[in-house]
Amino acid sequence: MICDMKKVGKSALLLSAVIVFALPLSSCSEKVSEPPVPVVEEKASSAASGAVDFVHELDSYEPKKDTYNFYFTYKIVHPWWDAVALGMEEAQRQYLEKGITITYEYMAPKAASAEDQKARLEAVKNAGYDIIGVDVADEEIISPVINEMIDEGCKVLTFSSSDAAAGCKRIAYVGNTHNYEDGVALTEALCEKLEYKGKVAILVGSVGAPCHEDRARGAKDTLAKYPDMETVAVEYDMDSIENAYDLTLEILDKTPDLAGIVCCNMSNPVGAARAITERGSDTVIVGMDHDEEALRYLNDGVIYCLGVQDCFSIGFDTLQVAVKIADGNLPGDLYPEKTNEITTIIYKEDAAQMLELLYGEIL
Amino acid sequence: MTNGKERVNKGFVSTAVIGSALVMVILIVITVWASRKTVSTTDEAVAAVSSFYLEAMADYRARTVNNLINNNFDHMEVALNVIKDSNISSQEELRNTLGNTKKLLSLNRFALVDDDNVVYTQYTTYMGGSRYDFLSSDKLSERVVSTINLYGSSKLLCLAIPTDGLVIMGKPFKACFILIDIKDISNLLLLEDHGTTYFALYTKTGGNLSDTDLGPIKAGNNILDKTKDHISPAAWEKLLADFEEGKEGNLTLMWDGIQETLCYAPVPNTGWMMAILIHENLIHEQFREMSESNHLVSRILIIVTLVSMGAFSSVLLLQLRRASRARLESEMENSRLFKNMANSDSLTGVRNKHAYSEYESKLNEKIRSGELKDGIAVLVCDINGLKIVNDTQGHAAGDRLIKDACDLICEHFSHGAVFRIGGDEFVVILQDRGYEKMDDSLAAINREVEENIEKGKVVVAVGHSVLTEEDEQIHDVFERADSLMYKRKQELKAMGAKSR
Repeated sequence: MICDMKKVGKSALLLSAVIVFALPLSSCSEKVSEPPVPVVEEKASSAASGAVDFVHELDSYEPKKDTYNFYFTYKIVHPWWDAVALGMEEAQRQYLEKGITITYEYMAPKAASAEDQKARLEAVKNAGYDIIGVDVADEEIISPVINEMIDEGCKVLTFSSSDAAAGCKRIAYVGNTHNYEDGVALTEALCEKLEYKGKVAILVGSVGAPCHEDRARGAKDTLAKYPDMETVAVEYDMDSIENAYDLTLEILDKTPDLAGIVCCNMSNPVGAARAITERGSDTVIVGMDHDEEALRYLNDGVIYCLGVQDCFSIGFDTLQVAVKIADGNLPGDLYPEKTNEITTIIYKEDAAQMLELLYGEIL
Repeated sequence: MTNGKERVNKGFVSTAVIGSALVMVILIVITVWASRKTVSTTDEAVAAVSSFYLEAMADYRARTVNNLINNNFDHMEVALNVIKDSNISSQEELRNTLGNTKKLLSLNRFALVDDDNVVYTQYTTYMGGSRYDFLSSDKLSERVVSTINLYGSSKLLCLAIPTDGLVIMGKPFKACFILIDIKDISNLLLLEDHGTTYFALYTKTGGNLSDTDLGPIKAGNNILDKTKDHISPAAWEKLLADFEEGKEGNLTLMWDGIQETLCYAPVPNTGWMMAILIHENLIHEQFREMSESNHLVSRILIIVTLVSMGAFSSVLLLQLRRASRARLESEMENSRLFKNMANSDSLTGVRNKHAYSEYESKLNEKIRSGELKDGIAVLVCDINGLKIVNDTQGHAAGDRLIKDACDLICEHFSHGAVFRIGGDEFVVILQDRGYEKMDDSLAAINREVEENIEKGKVVVAVGHSVLTEEDEQIHDVFERADSLMYKRKQELKAMGAKSR
């Protein structure tokens, strides 16, 4: 779900259409079984205050054991997943207060790699963890591994930004269920800003990462709708700010009249903004996530808008769902098969409040 | 002589008045100067005391934080030795050891980090490379103090020490660290007199770490940004440089009309700045109340002094005036006496020749002006036989004869002005009633004189004349009267009166 606070009405209409028509086309469309997601405008009263919910309490579910041991693996060592980890740590702390000890490992490679993730899963599948959580690095490579683990009796859930491929046997997913729509919403904002004409580049994160690929697909589809919009480049930074910076400079060299850039992950907008600032270009940047530097660029007007995901809630809910799955519960009344977390599109006027909310810095 | 005394008196009074005024002016000026000096000295003292007080508070709290850091480092060293001595062979044992050590040494969020930047805590194992900047280097060579801004606005103090040679489960470890919530440090440092004195911790770039208000600078606000518009550019540049270089200092700023004193000191080894702020107006108000009380006393003192001096001056002036008047009256009396003495005949008490001359001059002026045309008579009287008496009976007898003659003249011409103008010669000026009764009076005196010849008493020859239109001065009348007097003198001689 996406929350565009500047154009709530328009976005709500757009999202409604997207949710109704586009979701069935997404990779895990057949797994959607949770209750309808709340409408965007209702959940967030303002962009910054509604974008991330740091106030969580465990629900009334009583765990069946006193101790749990989990293993989580995600795409890459990156601050975005640190934010998810903080939500997990809060849930762990609350369980501890209830007398329930949860231990877990939260591991990732320094560079995004589906093979690395596959190796990790192979290594831990028989290590006796109550739950193995996977932020899918590449759905084509990892989904079969997950299926195999399920078949061998492991309890596997997917979490964070990327679900497994359609038909995967994972038990549940907690995280962003609308990456394609996020890409659509960001690109629509860009197109409107550019008055539906101009050359646009798309920066993507890791090759094969479902969330990144879905957003890029949403961006491409949206740009294709408008005859005067042209996609001039699609580049992958492999979740590296330095790569995003270099790629942006290369694109600017090739296309000096570049009108806009759609950034599909957290590192993209930071690298792009650095390059744009260095070149003094007026290229419009739209991007994802809550990197502090990106928020400062947003505040300065270098970045036009950012899609902020509620990482803290993703982490908190992941641990709650993991406990329920570990106890043998299947999706249903206790938890949905897909626990959706919101994305909120914020603009320059929201940047200061978001910086204060996330980093305690009042501009 | 009199004018000289008046000048002396006036000089005395002027000196007294000017002197008093000068004393009053000096008194007022000194009192006002002393009051202002007291206020400025008080202000300086307040500023000095405020700065000293704040610097002491800032230093004390900076040392408190530093002690906390050092104590935690010491505990971490102990914990590390405990872990090194433990034979840990599994993840579970490692977690238990970390938990026990943490609990035993009261260490917050104690963790170990291996060479791959995997962080091991009592409950979790996670990748720390993107969370902790101090893990960016492959190896730690010394203690590290860093500040961590976590997503969700939590701010933590991270203390890390290298763990050279530590190997657990075959993995080499490079560091151990603890995390202390800066809010806990803030609570440790909270000032008791909250509401008047504030403290906050800041980064070198002015970011708020303690989540505490520093007076008007709200929690979360950057102190460098917020003070920019409230101090001079030079003072702000110095503040900026002091924060960057970790130097202590202080400044005064006005905020919404309130004077604030800000003092800052570096917290050793942290890169933080401890800032203390006090509403200086509070101190000033207290001192101002005291000063105003002193001012009131001074004003009352001045007023009382002025009133007293005014009253004293008034009494003094009244007494001076009274004394002057008495002296003046005395002078007038003396003058009158001197004048009388100058115009009186000492033997007979009637007016003398000098007085006659003045009288004659005044009458002449009236004649010249036409005011006096008639109605005035001049009588010239001469004592017969005075020389014989003086020669034969002595001057005393002669004097008695003169007095008798004078008494006789005054008796008969009681309404006239009697002058003794020579040794045996008197002049009587008759006007008004005396003039009207002149004939009767002449007849009476002549009759008595004629009787006195036989009795051997005083004999006076009287000649008289009245003012006529032809007369230009009294002397003309006098001459006629004198001439008639001699004629009468001959008559009296003929009657037997002594002639000389």
